[in-house]
Amino acid sequence: MSAGKKTKPKKSAARQRAAPGVLTDALAEAAWSEADVALAQALADFDEAETAQKKGARQDALERLGQALSRAARKRGLSRVGGLDERVAFDADVHDLNATVAKTPKSVRIQARGVARGGEVLIKPRVAPLEKKKRS
Amino acid sequence: MSDWTLCIDFGTAFSKAAVAPSGAWSRFDPANVRPLMLSAEGPNTFLLDSAVFVDEDRVLFGRGALSEAEAQAENKRAALRSFKTLLSVSDLDRALNTNAPTTIDPHRVFQLRDLIVLYLAYLLASIDRAIAADPTLAQGGVFARRYAAPAWRAGDSAGMHEVIVRLFGEAEAFRTIIGKRILSPDGLSLRTISDALPKAMDQAESLEMGLIYEATAAAAYTSVGLDGAGSHMIVVDMGAGTTDIAALARLGPRTIELPEARVTLKQAGDFIDRVIANRVLDMAKWAKREQDRAELWSVLMHQMADIKEAIMADGRTTLRNQGRSITLTFKDIEKDGDFRDFQKGLREAYDHALAIVRDDARARGSSEVQAIAVGGGAATPFIQDLIRRKMEATRPRVVPRPATPDWAHAREFRGNLAPVFPQLAISIGGALAPDSMLAARTSRPANDRSGTPAGRD
Repeated sequence: MSAGKKTKPKKSAARQRAAPGVLTDALAEAAWSEADVALAQALADFDEAETAQKKGARQDALERLGQALSRAARKRGLSRVGGLDERVAFDADVHDLNATVAKTPKSVRIQARGVARGGEVLIKPRVAPLEKKKRS
Repeated sequence: MSDWTLCIDFGTAFSKAAVAPSGAWSRFDPANVRPLMLSAEGPNTFLLDSAVFVDEDRVLFGRGALSEAEAQAENKRAALRSFKTLLSVSDLDRALNTNAPTTIDPHRVFQLRDLIVLYLAYLLASIDRAIAADPTLAQGGVFARRYAAPAWRAGDSAGMHEVIVRLFGEAEAFRTIIGKRILSPDGLSLRTISDALPKAMDQAESLEMGLIYEATAAAAYTSVGLDGAGSHMIVVDMGAGTTDIAALARLGPRTIELPEARVTLKQAGDFIDRVIANRVLDMAKWAKREQDRAELWSVLMHQMADIKEAIMADGRTTLRNQGRSITLTFKDIEKDGDFRDFQKGLREAYDHALAIVRDDARARGSSEVQAIAVGGGAATPFIQDLIRRKMEATRPRVVPRPATPDWAHAREFRGNLAPVFPQLAISIGGALAPDSMLAARTSRPANDRSGTPAGRD
């Protein structure tokens, strides 16, 4: 590291931007290192959920499984899109309709939240048409 | 003219550094931001453990220091950590001239100043190694250096800055004498240090460095590249030890802090950890005996980062201890009286600072104030709620900014910068900020190493 006024031969902008691979690989490893632990935890919790003899134990294991997956996702910069059970206007570009329907619904309910990284949506929210209220 | 700007961030637990091209502020390209890979070991190479351990016949640094401290913990031995806390004390000179306690230095030969200089030498050497390992930076160039700091000892930042750059100067002189040996995993022998350190102290000159406040660095990474980003900003920084609120105003090319808006609360991440642990202890009815409670406390503290993150992000967490499960929700935390007091105090402090920055913005004809949360607690829901609250008066409006700026998701990073951005944010912001945002600069020229090729001792 040098400091001071003496200048070095200038590099072109293209050269200065060269070789991003080493940096992005190291950034990826840094982010993955913590996500790996959470994923390992999720795998163990999944086994526990599958082999649990009692309903309560299975519920606990599933809760921890979800928690570990959420943690892994956060460590990788993933975020959820929408809210569970949220009622929204249907938009085919934004939602993944999880039902066979004769007519495109106007309003839908979010069954499963979508997943995004930054501005990029990796999985659209899965939605189902709102059930019509039964007449009493 | 420098080609690059380097900013060092002393974290309480880790040190970080990042480099950006000089002039990045006006010609911003995310692809040119270079966080430095300071650590040779561990999966996260961007974090350098802030630790020094004085062993029987040698001094260890970084990860090696922590490992040895852990191995010798039963002998009441400890590594020196939290330099940041030490450097923030009101009488810095006196603190630096204090002998290190025997848990840290059983030989009683080092003052705290010596150990900090040794660590800074290790940090500077790690920076050079990182620059040499970066294909872009290794091509050479002149680096302007800065360090980021909280607004320590308000009103006397210049005095503090002189002391810090002197410490860096001594560290640089020591590193020049020792060379790359300081990066050895085996550390340095006490004999080597006792030979070289006095010489380094004699030869040292203050290093040419700038000081940037952490809040200003946050303002820089938040508003870089944004057109019309606004002239005023309020920053809520919840770290481990304190929660700081600061207000900044950009006046032409200069950025100033509005000192009357600054508030520091003693409660922050560590306080929340204790609240969570105490709530769990209350709920763990099976942990009656003192020994069981102490064991549970230790387990909780070990896993606290994950526990806290889950509660804050998902609103709940399920833990297991001795085959039993405990589910803790954010509402359980809010039942704690101390926590409620903290939330109230935080709201009042924020409102106080916001009123000042909005008044200033209004007086200068500015139409908006940006609000940003930084630090480990940036994503905490009540902090996010605070900065996203709707205001009664519409002007100037408050615009909340994301803790991780959109540019950190740039395609060039392939999705890999954003997840680690919060840890590196201050060093990156400090490297991006223009000179006009600096709180202090060294007036005296440093020992000029112009033209020294990067990474060669």
